[in-house]
Order: sequence, then C-alpha cells, then structure tokens
Amino acid sequence: MVEKTRVSANFSSVPVILALGLLSLPLVLMYVYLFIDTVSNSETGSLIPNEFTLEHWSFLWETKPGKPNIWLVTLNTFVFTSVITTVILLVSSMAGYVLSRLNVPARGFFLAGVMVLHAFPSVTLIIAIFIVLQYIGLYNSLLGVILVKAAIDLPLGIWLMKGFYDTVPWEIEMAGVVDGASRFTVWRRLVLPQIRPAVMALGLFSFLSGWSEFILPQVLAPGAQVQVLSVYLASLIADDNNFDFATFKAVGVFYVIPVLILYVFFQKHLMNIYGGGTKG
Amino acid sequence: MRTSRTLGLIMIAPAAIMILLFFLMPVVLTAVFSLTNMSTATGISGGAYQVTQAAVNRLTTDMPELAAAIAGPRFVIDEEGVAALEALKLKPGLAAELRAEHLGEVFASRREAERVIKALKDRPSTREVKRISDLFNRSVLNTRFETRQALLESLRKLGFNLGPEEQEAVAKATYTGWVWTADNFRTIGNSPDMAQIFLNTAFYVAVTLLFFNVGYALFLALTTHYMAAATASIFRAVWLLPRITPVVIYVLMWKWLTWDNGFLSLFMGQFGYPPRNYLLDNAQGAWFFVILINGFIGASMGMLVFSSAIKAIPETQFHASEVDGASRWQQIRYIILPQLRWPILFVTCYQTLSLLASFNEILLSTRGGPGRATEVWSLAAYHTALQNYTGNLEYGLGAAMALVLVVIGVILSLIYLRVFRYDTLISKPLIED
Repeated sequence: MVEKTRVSANFSSVPVILALGLLSLPLVLMYVYLFIDTVSNSETGSLIPNEFTLEHWSFLWETKPGKPNIWLVTLNTFVFTSVITTVILLVSSMAGYVLSRLNVPARGFFLAGVMVLHAFPSVTLIIAIFIVLQYIGLYNSLLGVILVKAAIDLPLGIWLMKGFYDTVPWEIEMAGVVDGASRFTVWRRLVLPQIRPAVMALGLFSFLSGWSEFILPQVLAPGAQVQVLSVYLASLIADDNNFDFATFKAVGVFYVIPVLILYVFFQKHLMNIYGGGTKG
Repeated sequence: MRTSRTLGLIMIAPAAIMILLFFLMPVVLTAVFSLTNMSTATGISGGAYQVTQAAVNRLTTDMPELAAAIAGPRFVIDEEGVAALEALKLKPGLAAELRAEHLGEVFASRREAERVIKALKDRPSTREVKRISDLFNRSVLNTRFETRQALLESLRKLGFNLGPEEQEAVAKATYTGWVWTADNFRTIGNSPDMAQIFLNTAFYVAVTLLFFNVGYALFLALTTHYMAAATASIFRAVWLLPRITPVVIYVLMWKWLTWDNGFLSLFMGQFGYPPRNYLLDNAQGAWFFVILINGFIGASMGMLVFSSAIKAIPETQFHASEVDGASRWQQIRYIILPQLRWPILFVTCYQTLSLLASFNEILLSTRGGPGRATEVWSLAAYHTALQNYTGNLEYGLGAAMALVLVVIGVILSLIYLRVFRYDTLISKPLIED
C-alpha cells in the first residue's frame, strides 16, 4: 500500500477524496443519526437535537405489550448464533480437511458440488424448506432454523477451509505420519493448529452471518418464544400503530453493537472473506 | 490406504448429511411441490373428501344432473332412522310398519318419502309426517369422509349407482387435499402479472448490476487506488458497513432517510417543501431507493475484488506509463481495465445470482410497493407462498416460481464452475497410507 501511494504521486488525490467523500455522505449521515437519535430528542421539524434522554431505551427494562421480552429475544439470538457458529466450524473444518488432503471416493464430485452450492442462491429454497420443517415438526423451533442456517452456510465454510488447508505444507503431515501418528491425530494435533487464523475468520464470519440473518427465522421460526432480534425489530417496525423511529433505532443500536465491535477489531479477517465472494 | 479412506468418509459424513437434507433435498422438493396445487386450503399432508356446496358447484360443470342429485336431499328408510322413530314414542305401529314393509327403500325427494309415510296405516298427522321424514333425511351435503371408499360407500347406500367415470369425478370434486397438476406453470406462462414481475426483475438486476455492483464498485476501487493508504482504508471501511450491518437495521436507516417524518423531508422542509414519503410516494422514487439500498450493499464485494486485482498489477507498468506522460484516465483505460476483465466477469456472474435471489431488502423497505411496482420475482414467490393478505398461501405456485430461480441458479453456477476452472484446484493427495 505504501508503494502504491508513490505510484500515483504525480496526481493530486484531493479531487477523488472530495468526490468519494460526497458520495459517502448519506451513509455516514445515516450512521451518525442512528446513534444520536437514540439518546436525544429534537423539536418537530428540526434536525438538531436539543435534549438528552434515555426514554428510547425503555424497551430494556419494560416489555412492550404484545411483544416478547427483549432479554429472552437476546438470549435466543445468542443461542441461535453460537450454535450455528460451532456447527459450521466443526463440520467444515473436518470436511475441508478431507477435501484438501484425503483420498475419498467422489472427491472431485463433492468439491464441484460444494463450489456450485456456494454460488447457488439458497434463499430460493425457503418455500421447500418451510414445508419440510412443517412435515418433520421442526417448524417454529430454534433447532430447525439452526440446522437450516448452518447447512446453507456450510458450502462457503467448507470451501474456505479447504483453501486454507491447501496452504499448509505437506511436510508437516509427512513428518507426523513417519513418526507413527494416525491421520486423525495428524489432523487434530498438527494441521488444525496451523490454520487457527482461518478458524478464527470463519468463526467470526459465521457469527456475523447468523446474528444478521433475518429471512430464515422470520419464515421458519416467527413464534414469540423463539424470536431472534432481527425478527423482533422487524415486527416492531411493521407495527404501524406505534411508529417511533427513535425507539426502533435504540433497538437497532442494541442489536448492532456486537456486530460493530467485532467489525472494528477484526476488520482485516473479514475483508479476506468478503472479498472471496459471499452473497448479498 | 483404507484407514485414510474410512477416516475421510467419517469426517465428511456430517457435512454430506446436512447438505443433503437441508440443501439438495429442498432443491428436489421445490420441483416436486411445483407440480402440485398445495396451499393453505389443501394443507400439506393428505386431505379428506368433503361434500360441500363448492364441491357440488365444481361437479356441476361436467355432470349437472349428478351434481343436482347429490346436492338434493335423499330419504332412506334404514334401521337407524326407524330406531330414532321408536325413540320419539309416537304410535308404535308406525315404526313397526316402516321396518316391515319399507326398509331399504330410497326416495329422491322429500315429497316421495312423505307420500309413503302418510300412507301408513296409523295415519300420522301432517306435523308428524314432517318430523318422521326428517329422521330419514340422509343427504350427503356437508358431510366429511376420511377416505374415498367411505364416500363412495355412502353414496351407494343412498342409491347412487355410479360408473367408474362418475366415481372419479365425484372423488375429484370433493377432495380437499392437494393433487398433482401442471397448472402452476401455465399460470406463470400466461398471466400478465407474471410478465410484469419478470420485467421488473430484469430491470432491477440489470440496473443495480451495471450502476452499483460493477460500475460503482469499479469507481470505488479506482478512486481508493489513487489515495494514500490510510484514507483509502477509511473509505473502504465505510463502504463495507452496508454489508456488515444487519439488513433489518440497514433498511431501517434508509426508511428514516426517506419517510415523511425522516431526514429528507425535514431537510427539504428547511427550504419550504412539504414533507413527503420519498420511498413510497411513486414508483420512480421507490425504484430509485430500492436500487440504492441494494447497490450500496452490492458495491462492497466488487470494491474488494477489484481492489485486490488492481493491487496485483505490477508497479512497473504504472511507473513506465507515468514516464511516458500518461494521464490518470489513460492509466485506467489502458492498464487497469484490460487486466480487470476476469474479476469483472466473476463479480457480474456472482452478483447476478445474488440479486435475482435476494429479496430481504425490498421486502423490508417497500414490500414490493407502491402497489406492486417494485415486486421482483423472488419477492413475488415469497408473497405467493409464505406471506400474503388473502391468507391462502399457495405453496405450489410459489414453489413453481422459486423453481424458475433454482434452475437459473443451477445453470449459472455450473457456468461459473466451468469458467473459473475448478479442476485446477484439485490436486491429488500426496500421502497414501
């Protein structure tokens, strides 16, 4: 990057910065006001806040009529997200290793399948999945939607893990095998520690993806007992009788804070994964 | 050899099972469901046979006489009715005579049945005749049968001797469960609504892709390339925010920006414009913001892919061009763009699929409105099968609409697989134990 700057030293970068700054303005404005509006009130017709208040945060200590308790919803979201992350990490770190290193029948086929599925728009399957969950009785349960979400994110996870395993030198495994370790021990004790950053990145990605997921829980588990934060917030906004942007934003900030914290601290890891191509 | 193979199979099994159950099976089932008329009304498991007025109306078009006969009352002198008559404690002779003389007789109308009852030796009064005849009314209208057998058996007892063709027609008209049909595809092919939704989708995907997912992404990558590293990373971070932010909040922020009590209205209010809902007032505004909302998310992927591709271009090419006096525009035109051909193709392929399939943002922002102006294919499938105002969710039709996307998805991903050469990615395992 430093050398890059030198390359274009002939040109002034002020005009591009101005242009891009102008274009980024709406985004920045939306984020700034997202935070300001949750802790302040402003006079009607004015954009400048004139008093500090915490009233918009009252949803934290009093449950809204007809809505589930916010802490139950938060707990659900945590369970949903962490189980998904664990399942994805566990399953794809095993499958990725097999595809990268082990000789199994139909390896090429499986690999091609994973790559196709990774590009495949899985939202289109939601109608069939909805009916399947109704048949097997997992509709409106956290377990059902967790399994579905984990399965849908798996191809990407396997694909990433396979890529990371490919970068681990064979010599490490050779050495282990020569010393008499089984292939499983080699994977567990020698290879897995080598790709710790990858596990970290994938875990982070799965967590964010699970935390943000909206349409799957909305369709497959909309019930009050199993609601997650995204569905809760969407149902608040959809309720036309109590329209109050400041409260929505307060719930929104409450919901987005873990995401922003992770983003600020682990931006580099995430850039790698998002650059590799995910949906959206 | 064998241990590595067994271990491999065991380690890959969980992934294989999950993908099979919640990924491949739904693909197949989407196709299966698309060939049915499943809906809230038919339920998703089997149905029953219910003789309702609606069922009779369905039957009327093909077999008007049979339909009228089934709908009309039927009077059967049976043991059940006689027993009920005895329980009424009228003159005992009535029940005894009916049992002895008329058991098993069937009358097509109340008048015929009452004529027989009136002719009984005990001479019931007119009021009694009416009460008695009610006991023998065996109309099937508004009765429900669990099986086809039960329905036909009951009709036979009522004196309908149906041929196989008639049996078929009656069973079909009264069945409440789902049946196999290709009507969904006919609906998709013929309905003008569907054609409009198709055009909407094409417009939405083409414009978003051209202006944002590729166009604006390219602009971001190029401008950040010509900046100091620190500034560039700030802008990249800002433009990655839409992707990182959970979609519900992201759309909420846009609503705040565009609604009549939101930022734009307040801002324009300073200059004397009345507040209005910029998002939903008219179709143009709705499209404008729908494309912005999706485009801002889509731009980040292209930005990252193109940035890393530009970074991979050898520095010497830039140095040489600057020595030769190339302008910034000439550098972009003759050095950068030609070397971005593959990344651009990759992003185009990838984002076409995501744009076709994703409806989160539109659902949350305009819900396809105003009217159905911003209804795109995937959203229409969702509305048809999973959420609509009429309350009858048409799973079959929705699945058929989704199947169109699934097929496009499979074809495009296969092309993607061929173009981006996955076979170069597989190398043989080096350890064979």
